[in-house]
Amino acid sequence: MTTTASRSTIFRRPTATKGFWSWITTVDHKKIGVMYGYTAFAFLLIGGLEALLLRLQLAGPEGQFLSQAEYNAMFTMHGTTMVFLVIMPMSAAFMNYLLPLMIGARDVAFPRLNALSYWIFLFGGLFLYSTFIFGTTGAPAGGFLAEEVSRLGSAPNAGWFGYAPNTEPQFSVGTVLDYWAIGLQILGLASLLSSINLITTIFNLRAKGMRLLRMPVFVWMSLVVNFLLAFSLPIIAVALWMITFDRQFGSQFFQAANGGDPILWQHLFWLFGHPEVYILILPAMGIVSEVLPVFSRKPLFGYAAVVFAGAAIGFLGFGVWAHHMFSSGISTVAQAAFGLSTMTIAIPTGIKIFNWLGTMWMGRLRFTTPMLFSIGFVAMFTIGGLSGVTHSVVPADWQQTDTYYIVAHFHYVLFGGAIFGIFSGLYYWFPKLTGRMYSERLGKWHFWLMFLGFNLTFAPMHWLGLQGMVRRTWQYASDTNLGPWNMVVTIGAFIIAASILLFMWNWVVSKRRGAEAGIDPWDARTLEWTIPSPPPEYNFAEIPTVTALDDFWHKKYSEDEEERPVRRDTADLLVEELEHTGNNPGKPIHLPGPSYFPIAVGLSLPVVGYGIIYHGEVWGVALLAVGVLATITSFVGWAQEPAEEPGEEESPGEEH
Amino acid sequence: MSEPAQPEAHHHPSPRQYVQIALLLAVLTGIEVGLYYTEPTFGRLVTPALLILAAIKFGLVVGYYMHLKYEKRFLTGFFGAGFILAGLVYAVVLVSVLILPRFG
Amino acid sequence: MADLAHDLGHHDEHESLGVDNRKLAMWVFLASEFMFFGALISTYLLFKGKEGMAGPLPRELYDIPFTSVSSFVLLMSSLTMVLAHNALTRKDQPATRSWLLATALLGMVFIAGQFFEFATFIEEGMTMRTNAAASGFYLLTGFHGTHVLIGIIMLLSLFGISRRQGSLSGGQGLNLELVGLYWHFVDIIWIVIFTVVYLIP
Repeated sequence: MTTTASRSTIFRRPTATKGFWSWITTVDHKKIGVMYGYTAFAFLLIGGLEALLLRLQLAGPEGQFLSQAEYNAMFTMHGTTMVFLVIMPMSAAFMNYLLPLMIGARDVAFPRLNALSYWIFLFGGLFLYSTFIFGTTGAPAGGFLAEEVSRLGSAPNAGWFGYAPNTEPQFSVGTVLDYWAIGLQILGLASLLSSINLITTIFNLRAKGMRLLRMPVFVWMSLVVNFLLAFSLPIIAVALWMITFDRQFGSQFFQAANGGDPILWQHLFWLFGHPEVYILILPAMGIVSEVLPVFSRKPLFGYAAVVFAGAAIGFLGFGVWAHHMFSSGISTVAQAAFGLSTMTIAIPTGIKIFNWLGTMWMGRLRFTTPMLFSIGFVAMFTIGGLSGVTHSVVPADWQQTDTYYIVAHFHYVLFGGAIFGIFSGLYYWFPKLTGRMYSERLGKWHFWLMFLGFNLTFAPMHWLGLQGMVRRTWQYASDTNLGPWNMVVTIGAFIIAASILLFMWNWVVSKRRGAEAGIDPWDARTLEWTIPSPPPEYNFAEIPTVTALDDFWHKKYSEDEEERPVRRDTADLLVEELEHTGNNPGKPIHLPGPSYFPIAVGLSLPVVGYGIIYHGEVWGVALLAVGVLATITSFVGWAQEPAEEPGEEESPGEEH
Repeated sequence: MSEPAQPEAHHHPSPRQYVQIALLLAVLTGIEVGLYYTEPTFGRLVTPALLILAAIKFGLVVGYYMHLKYEKRFLTGFFGAGFILAGLVYAVVLVSVLILPRFG
Repeated sequence: MADLAHDLGHHDEHESLGVDNRKLAMWVFLASEFMFFGALISTYLLFKGKEGMAGPLPRELYDIPFTSVSSFVLLMSSLTMVLAHNALTRKDQPATRSWLLATALLGMVFIAGQFFEFATFIEEGMTMRTNAAASGFYLLTGFHGTHVLIGIIMLLSLFGISRRQGSLSGGQGLNLELVGLYWHFVDIIWIVIFTVVYLIP
């Protein structure tokens, strides 16, 4: 591990390198990735709590644990949180931390923009959640919500998908949906900026010899994801502006009485929403594609096929959105067309699944915790994918829509898929991040408990749905006989919660007292394993030159006649040398300096948000003005701040 | 790939050519406006004609003013991809909502 | 290596597409903006011909001659923009500043025209609330106008920097090119809007 002493002779800008302020002003992709990770995990706990509350309400028929208003708020916030505040930022955590390391760069293309994305996310998320403090909700007079709604119910309550005309001001009185629309608008901006940043990084900052088809699969999946983000976020931005204008300024976009069309909302939302689900799953697929080869001691089967399948999924993902609208009254021709296009996505997905299986086939498998989660991913995602294929059969979908069968599907792919993939990555890269090993025993307990809890929770939802249990409804009647399996589901949910506590315990204790990991504890294949654990701020003492896919592996291993890996005599020496030189660069390395401006802009945007919501009050207008002014001044200051000091020699790839 | 430092201009139109393009743009706009007033006469032919004229103006600004004609091909790829994707998906939305319901 | 322009010092050392980071970022961003304006334009197209809407419709109120002049102004601003860039490549700093200012001024004329047009429509009884087509019209042209305004701010900033420093050099020169790309993009969106929203029957 590097010492402060050796650092201070290297860096010429002696602003805060340790402590609280170094995090506030950091532009280091690794610190930013860590912040994304911890923040996303905190939201995971909150979103999980929301789920537990839902499950307590649904454990038995005619539950009274939550009121109707509270139930609607909880399922809306659970979905919104998990999608926008957990999985997306967790993926961002991995992409931020790993992409420069995997391509042999010192940072991303635009470090300050990177920090900005994080701060927008954090304060946007807090803005959204401030609804619980400030939000108001109500209903037309005489409606069931005519009485006072509790704080727990004072949150967005129109589902994570916010269908019009329910979201129109005459049907959703109060401010909670404005917190939703404006909060998501702010959060979307964070991801959009990040996508431009990472696309530029992947294309322009690769080390010498790191040709596109030599990049790790995780990098490729990130590239596809960032293109999906860049092209899909603008769509929901428009939709959110429309509903905001309908609610705040009386426009008529979704008001049928005056020419508007609620179906337009559905089209725009799902035009974004479907690529969004591939945004949610592809990073996890990338993680799994890294983990499986390492713990099978075999290269990924069909690297090019996996890469192109990922790109195909991304591309085709723009052609299927109306499969979320089969029962919304769209024409038969549209239903048929989208049913067909949806089926085609199964093809590249199937290619990936077979390639993962092919990777493990005849490999020397090591069942470490990350490996268990990755194998779990393949199995659970396949189940979720199969139920997805059943949705593409349009008449079947008419039966399944709005039932728990759909809930089962997307939890198998998003939890059994994305979340399992994320845990796989958290365990896999834990040694790199912390320099220590986690407890394998606790890790395995976590996996098996979570696997059990997960299947207990979501498997019954398949048949509960087919038996008619309806989504988004706070109660079910006792004569539906849905009670017993719902109780099983609720128990499963609490088992999941227990497993997460195990994970947290493992993380905290291992970070402090885990065994030292060294630079390459897994005998891995990619560049991030060639630098010290944890990485020094500059990542690479010397930017590597790459000569092949899995270059590091080939430097450690050759192959015998049966294509089995044979460790080279020089391998151990190589690893030792990398550890030594990694910490002692021998020449000054210049990095972009820290900055206050990203957090300044990040703080201003929610102020603008509050101003829009409360623009009817004088102080609201004042907030709006202050927020806009603060944003503009921060940008002006930013534009005038040099990325690094003038006259400094540039490190390769550094922004000027 | 080490070439001597030079400004981004590998090839640029001259100021004269820029002005010529501007004049062309003005003329095309004039024709468009003129066509607008002929709608009673030419009816449904006006729409495709207007679209073609707009496309030419679009191409001129993108190709010459934005310099895309002289840039590396992949930039056209990225830019074009956004344009085509938008065209396709929104066309499908419009067809879905405006035309398909007539067929059940 | 320190002798080469910092731009090219990279090429020996790493793989890249051969286009400056910020330029690549701007092109990708502009490509994404097609999705943004596409949604707005298609929303207007969806509503413009709908039966049974209350109040004046946008197409009933359009003043084509007036908007034609506005469109011409914006097109000419693309010319002045590209002349500004050309002047910079010839290192003619005063000309660069003049053309930058001209572009910003033409942009401001365009915005003034938009304000006047909106004010007229409102007077004639069409606000954003009147019907969905009006909402679509105002949101589309409003966002376009906002983009123009942001462009004007950037142009004036470049102008100011050039005045203060005496010249736009190195990285700032690239900034002018980037602002130019943005400005032309806003212009081509208007080319589409003018034709598709105003002219097409």
